[in-house]
Amino acid sequence: MKRLAAIVALAATLATATACGTTGTTGTTGNTGAAQTAGGGVFTTIDGSKQINASAPINPFNPVGSVFAGYNGMALAWPKNDPVDPNQFYPGLASSWTTTPDQSEVVIHLQPDARWSDGKPVTSEDVRVSIGLAYTQGGTAYALDPRAAGAAADIHVVDAKTLKITQGANRSGMFLSNLLSTVVVPAHVFGRLLPADFWHTLKVAQDGEGPAAEQAKAEITGLAEKVIAFGPAHDVSAGPFVLERVNPGAALLKRNPYFYNSKAIAPDKVKVLNYTGNEQIWNYLISGRLDNAPFTSVPTAVMERIRGAGGSKVIKGYSPVATSMAFNQAHKPYDNVHVRRALAYLIDRAQVTKIASPEGGTPAVTTSGIHAKAARAWLDGGFDTLERYRVDAAKADAELRAAGMTKRDGRWALPDGKPWQVQIHVPASFSDWVAAAKSISSQLGDHGIDATVVTAADYTLYLGELADGKYDVAFWLIGLGPSPYNIFQRLYGQANGWQMFGGRLSHVAPGTQGNWMGGPETVDAGADGRVNPGELTSRLSYATPEERKRVVGVLARLTNEQLPVIQLWDYVNTQFVNTSRYTAFPPDDHDALRLSSGVWMQLGMIKKRQA
Amino acid sequence: MSIMTNAQETTDPRSAPGGTPGVTRATLRRNFWRGVWRVLRRKPSRMVGVVIVAGFAVMGVAGPLLYPDHLPRDDDALYAPPSLRHPFGTDFEGTDVLALVITGARYVLLTGLATAVITVALGTLIGLFAGFRRGRWDTVLMRVTDVNLAIPGLPLLLVLSTVWKFESPLEMGLVLGLLGWGGIARAVRSQTLSLRERGFIEAARGLGLPTTHIIGRELLPSMAPYIAMNMLIAVTGAVYAQVGLFFLGVLPFESNNWGVMLNLAVFNGGALTTAAALPYLMAPLLAILLLTLGIVLIVDAMDEIFNPRLREE
Repeated sequence: MKRLAAIVALAATLATATACGTTGTTGTTGNTGAAQTAGGGVFTTIDGSKQINASAPINPFNPVGSVFAGYNGMALAWPKNDPVDPNQFYPGLASSWTTTPDQSEVVIHLQPDARWSDGKPVTSEDVRVSIGLAYTQGGTAYALDPRAAGAAADIHVVDAKTLKITQGANRSGMFLSNLLSTVVVPAHVFGRLLPADFWHTLKVAQDGEGPAAEQAKAEITGLAEKVIAFGPAHDVSAGPFVLERVNPGAALLKRNPYFYNSKAIAPDKVKVLNYTGNEQIWNYLISGRLDNAPFTSVPTAVMERIRGAGGSKVIKGYSPVATSMAFNQAHKPYDNVHVRRALAYLIDRAQVTKIASPEGGTPAVTTSGIHAKAARAWLDGGFDTLERYRVDAAKADAELRAAGMTKRDGRWALPDGKPWQVQIHVPASFSDWVAAAKSISSQLGDHGIDATVVTAADYTLYLGELADGKYDVAFWLIGLGPSPYNIFQRLYGQANGWQMFGGRLSHVAPGTQGNWMGGPETVDAGADGRVNPGELTSRLSYATPEERKRVVGVLARLTNEQLPVIQLWDYVNTQFVNTSRYTAFPPDDHDALRLSSGVWMQLGMIKKRQA
Repeated sequence: MSIMTNAQETTDPRSAPGGTPGVTRATLRRNFWRGVWRVLRRKPSRMVGVVIVAGFAVMGVAGPLLYPDHLPRDDDALYAPPSLRHPFGTDFEGTDVLALVITGARYVLLTGLATAVITVALGTLIGLFAGFRRGRWDTVLMRVTDVNLAIPGLPLLLVLSTVWKFESPLEMGLVLGLLGWGGIARAVRSQTLSLRERGFIEAARGLGLPTTHIIGRELLPSMAPYIAMNMLIAVTGAVYAQVGLFFLGVLPFESNNWGVMLNLAVFNGGALTTAAALPYLMAPLLAILLLTLGIVLIVDAMDEIFNPRLREE
């Protein structure tokens, strides 16, 4: 389960980083609360998104690099855990920002006192170089294709602490949030990675045509490996800490004396412990070694022991991720909505959650494609009108008969009389999904449906086979908010055949180009008429707030009626803290809960416990 | 060894012109089993070994018949502690752990058996042939054996598991057997090279006996104890290998597979951290331990059964 926890964390972060919205937002610097005297000590934690690799470079562009977000890794701003608005951010290196209502232009003001750990000031040029490096890696805001939605068209340095960034013609409401998520690196260290004519090459790649533009694009993307492999001799950080040393067991970071809000930082040092599995994290927590651990999947008995550790405390909050069981609608009998509904009526989601994720999940109230908390906010009273799919064997039998299925000797068979065996696919390394799939197979078995669990050796293989359309039924993360576009992309995006090429949406045939969900291109949505779910989802990235709310309502109802997936449980962000050494951690449901404790410190939280 | 040779000579119709071949063989067979019984009785531990292995064999054959296809669950007793009703507690969905171990024995034992048969058959055949023929056959077959020995079994199985689901124990046994015959082939070849120069083989050659007779009737019986012991040890090796692979989660999910049980006890139940899922962890471990113990105790007896000198002591 270790990897699933990391993937949930990453998925949620990614969802935030690519979130959309159109509301102009202005950040403020009023972030730190009362300045307190630094208390010292070593704050011990783990990084939930990656394990420590002692030989990895100190480079945020390297996926395993020794850069830890919020400690020695800094972004322009940090996303708040808002259920519906992806444009809510806490200031990071950007102290404030303004944007036009259509996000065509964003002006970013940097922290006036921000300095790197070698004493040099953080300037607009650092941000510009960081954006240049981001172009080599690709990404929504930094796409080389000028027709891509939400791509930056121009980066203008207004002065040493101010930048103006213009969005390309194909506007997207996710532009601001993508910009603010930009990781900033020092130009005097990383700047040498960009060739002298980089900005000219970028211009040609974005605005040019024909072979010259293609060559320019190839030159820029050709820099990707060089950027990822780059390893500075030592860490130069603008965050509250700077890397002192790293070994296979832990990374040790010391205070950055030049951090712009240094007075808010309590610990003298931060130790990031390595781990190879959840069991190690459990043992760290039971022994009271960790001051904070991010979301970790924990069995009930282990949770009791963790709670029993001196000073141990559990903080719970909203996590915009849900687990579902998805259908390949190109495979019979799952093309029939009655079959999908029958299965929904047979699965006891509360029991599945109790078995699979008793501490990190709440049973899905219904299937809407959205985490229940966000769904209530988006749908208002409409959420309660959705079909709940409570366990009801009679309704399930009626749905199966409506699908032409027959029951012989107590076992359900396909309409042609052949035996029906439901194969539920899960990656073997996600033990909570394996347990959930087993519970579902047992429940279906009780109702005369032969079901088996089939595991894939690892997650990469699982995703590959999923994309190839090899599975009938498989577990799938959904509801990756807060952006509604990202939420419904999981259901009506590439996995279901809708693809965006050069700003144009198209639908590909099931079984091709990663379309494994195999749903129809248009669906009868009852009172909402015949709709194209992929087109509606695409519209969420640029629609007005009112239109967005209407579209979310249509898609949620459609999902509830058509059941491309059965929503099983909504994740709960379960964090662990130990108040023996430090106090003032964020409370339950705080909107900084999905950020690292390094960001909490930046925001003025976490104080040394006074004797 | 000489007694074995004499026995073969006695059983050969050509060497006992005055006797009745069928009667002689039946007598030998009877004497052999009497000898086995005597050897087993000499040490109670050997009887314990036989009882354990026989118990597992019964479990493998009849175990799944004792329970319904879908094992009963108790939704309110997840990871229940041991009790009279559930001697090893329950698993993550309230299923009796003992029932899981018993119904899961068939896959484990069949895999072990298939692996052992393939390992021993291939290893013996190739070793005998290479050692007896020598020359180019020996060179080619030993290079093939070297390649087999050089294959890193576990990584290969991990890779294979991405394309092969190993749904049947025979498939699993086939792969483990094909990966494991190299050591036996090498050892059998060495023994063959040594034995083929002995007087009784020279004599057999001098009498003009066919090669199949020399290999099948003269060489093979001399190596029978070694081969039989390797076969039993191969069973334990196969059990460890496949349980290990299931534990790593690279093979298909079967809730009653011992490796899957270990995996879920550790990673889902936290058995190494808390006591709640400890019985769930201990039950398959105990089964593996008992099976290994039974086999080791029988191997001890087997040494004496095939080695008359030990029997005389």
